[in-house]
Amino acid sequence: MSYEEVIFYFVAALTVLGALGVVLARNAVHSALFLILALLAVAGVFILLSAEFLAIVQVLIYGGAVTILILFVMMLTRVRDTPSAAGELDGPQRPFAALAAGAFLAISVLAALATDWEALGATEEINPVPFEELGEALFRNWAAPFEVASLVLLVALIGAIVLARHEEGE
Amino acid sequence: MVGMEEAWLIPAIPAAAFAVLLLVGKYLPRRGDWLAIGAVAASFVLFFPVLIDLLDEVDQPGFAGVSSGIDWVKFSLPTGPDFQLRLGFHVDQLAIVMLVVVSFVALMVQVYSTGYMKGDPRYGWYFAAMSLFVASMLTLVLADNFLLLYAAWEGVGFCSYLLIGFWHERRSAAEAAKKAFVTTRIGDVGLLIGIILLWREAGTFDISEIFEFAENGGYSAEYLTTAVLFLFAGAVGKSAQFPLHVWLPDAMEGPTPVSALIHAATMVVAGVYLVARMLPLFELADPVALNVVTALGLTTVMISATMGLVATDIKQVIAYSTINSLGLMMVALGSGSVTAAMLYLFAHGFFKALLFLSAGSVIHATERQEVSQLGGLAKRMPVTAAVFALGALSMAGIVPLSGFWAKDEILNVAGDHQNFVVYGFMMLSVFITALYMVRVVILTFLGEPRDRGAQEHAHDAEPAMTVPLLLLAALTVVAGFVTFDGVGEALGFPGGFGEFVFSEEPEAFHFPLDVAVLSTVAALAGLATAFYFWSGEAEPARRAAETFRPAYETLKRKYFVDEVYQWAIDRVVLVTGGVVAWFDRNVVNDTGVDGTAGLGVFTGFGMKFLETGKLPNYALAIVTGVIVLAIVFMVVRV
Amino acid sequence: MIPIQHFLVLSSILFSLGIYGVLARRSAVLILMSVELMLQAVSVNFIAFAVYLSPEQFTGLIFAIFVITIAAAEVGLALAIILRIYRNKATANVDEVDMLKW
Repeated sequence: MSYEEVIFYFVAALTVLGALGVVLARNAVHSALFLILALLAVAGVFILLSAEFLAIVQVLIYGGAVTILILFVMMLTRVRDTPSAAGELDGPQRPFAALAAGAFLAISVLAALATDWEALGATEEINPVPFEELGEALFRNWAAPFEVASLVLLVALIGAIVLARHEEGE
Repeated sequence: MVGMEEAWLIPAIPAAAFAVLLLVGKYLPRRGDWLAIGAVAASFVLFFPVLIDLLDEVDQPGFAGVSSGIDWVKFSLPTGPDFQLRLGFHVDQLAIVMLVVVSFVALMVQVYSTGYMKGDPRYGWYFAAMSLFVASMLTLVLADNFLLLYAAWEGVGFCSYLLIGFWHERRSAAEAAKKAFVTTRIGDVGLLIGIILLWREAGTFDISEIFEFAENGGYSAEYLTTAVLFLFAGAVGKSAQFPLHVWLPDAMEGPTPVSALIHAATMVVAGVYLVARMLPLFELADPVALNVVTALGLTTVMISATMGLVATDIKQVIAYSTINSLGLMMVALGSGSVTAAMLYLFAHGFFKALLFLSAGSVIHATERQEVSQLGGLAKRMPVTAAVFALGALSMAGIVPLSGFWAKDEILNVAGDHQNFVVYGFMMLSVFITALYMVRVVILTFLGEPRDRGAQEHAHDAEPAMTVPLLLLAALTVVAGFVTFDGVGEALGFPGGFGEFVFSEEPEAFHFPLDVAVLSTVAALAGLATAFYFWSGEAEPARRAAETFRPAYETLKRKYFVDEVYQWAIDRVVLVTGGVVAWFDRNVVNDTGVDGTAGLGVFTGFGMKFLETGKLPNYALAIVTGVIVLAIVFMVVRV
Repeated sequence: MIPIQHFLVLSSILFSLGIYGVLARRSAVLILMSVELMLQAVSVNFIAFAVYLSPEQFTGLIFAIFVITIAAAEVGLALAIILRIYRNKATANVDEVDMLKW
């Protein structure tokens, strides 16, 4: 077992732990904190995949902005932050949810393991992508989608403000 | 300078007048009758430059008329040639003859109508509908392709329906309008089928291109025969030929000027015009086609002439004489002579309009139209009596009125091209025609008044009605002379009527004396017999009716054709309709439509409970779907 | 050397947990967090494919960048909607908002 594998299993375990915490925690705020753990661990996975840039972006946007936003909304909508009885945070279709998730996991893992990736051209090792190439590609070949994405962000921003602001007399 | 290229203006002006009258007619002084008359007058005036232009070019060898127009809609079909809708107008000698008849008679009738229709609550609408009719009729005459021709054909039929039912508060008028519309529609369907048959092979609706296609042997003889017989069905309906003649006598329910214009001079001769226009196709087809035309024409002549003998309504007698004339024209066409048919059409337009309009004056003055209530009117209405008698004698074929020359021409070609049976019946029809035309003159204008109350205020009509009568009377006298070469040349034509209007070769004027003498003898015999039967108390006529009661009854009941149709409608159409209606109600509607809808309602009611409105349920359904799809995908793929 | 399957299995687990969370949770905020988990799984998958299968084109990397961008927009918008619903209905629990019902 190489040291890379050791690191992978460690980071993967952290990710799964965080994710389990998100979906199972009895306390909504704990759930949000577990989400931070999961997101940071995924950033670690990105580094293992030699996508350092994405890892940084992940930490900045998810670890910072998104989780803060979520915690704010929790506060505003008064999601219970005290531990509560079972079923308070979960709906009645929890058994079906577990069944569906399990079925999906089985199919997905089966597909991942049964496929002959070498035949599809997969290499043994990770091929790091240099920063410069990524930047060039993003602003040359992918310039149009990039601009569209910025427009989407702008519209989402305006939409969020319109939806969330207090109206007259409210 | 307006020439043949601008012939489209002739129908366009009345059409524009119709649009204006329909939209703002109410607000115009005199409800806009001057606009309608002005439009027709403009069309009539425009006819002359077009005629002069035509005369300039008609000498050129191979002249076949001038077409102009625009392609309106054009698109490719996946199979076969391009589909093309064209607004095109074609001027040739045939169209010119029709143009002058239509525009002149329409002008006369419109002027006359200002007096006849005075005070009618729908005075303005009358002139609007007449303008639409004139526009449609002129389009029909000038159309250079079958689609435009068919549209105009239906247009005149529609106007005829509107105007027959003009006084639709009267039940009989509404019924007559419906009868006319439905009966002619039977023929119109035939016409449409014929047009489609011709188009299917040739791939064009253009009339001259279809002629070319046919001359190059594009159609097989059987195919072409079928197609032209379907075309002829349209002519049978429109021109009131046996067995679709039943609508025309009933159409007399309309205002009399309408009868004069539509049901005498113009629309009903559209069928004759159609056959004359298509005569090249008829001649390329099997001889059977022209024989059918002759046979139906002759049948029509005989039954209408005999029914005219017993009709008691003055307008109906003239209606039968119109059917009679139309039959004669069909016989001429069946004998392959466009010249004879068109000459008769030309003359007939004037004297038949004259007859109707003078009959209209009688009706206007006395408010009676049964001959049993008339009589002795000559003293009170001398001008009307004179012009009516002139028209009747022209119809009877008395020399030298226009009807004589035209009828003589038809007898000539019938004698030349048909066997002696046809010829004999034609001569017999001359005798009967004279008999019933003179009969109606005697019963209306001579003898003693039978209903004095009705005649107290009777007098010749106002100038607006009398002047058109006199103009038409003048033409009735002189119109026949165009058959002479000298008259034609003096007027600037290449020669007599036959040199100008013909199907293949110009027909020189010829005048076999034996035919003329024979027909004159027959006509004079009819005249004398009429005086014997109906003058004074009409005692001989009554005795003859008693003696031949079954024959008299048969004629009175119009050969039972209406009864046969009524029986067919009751027993066949209504019974079939009942079965179809039952099927539609029970199977199509209750089971099919309502059943399908009911199924939807039922399942919808059952399934609406699946909609909980809770998003987690929907999300679960989506995920389940994804999983099922993934499984299916893997199973099928692996 | 880590084979690609490792990352794919990790991504599957993450995604399945996301599905469970979306289906089982009642609060809209918690459902949104589960959706974020699913998006992370997708990003991992994209990057793994990019670096193992087509390092010359690295389309997957670009996609992951866009996923993160759109996810940020989506979170902002979704939270605004949740706030709106909470104000109108006094709850952020999705199973209590059943206006779509028959």
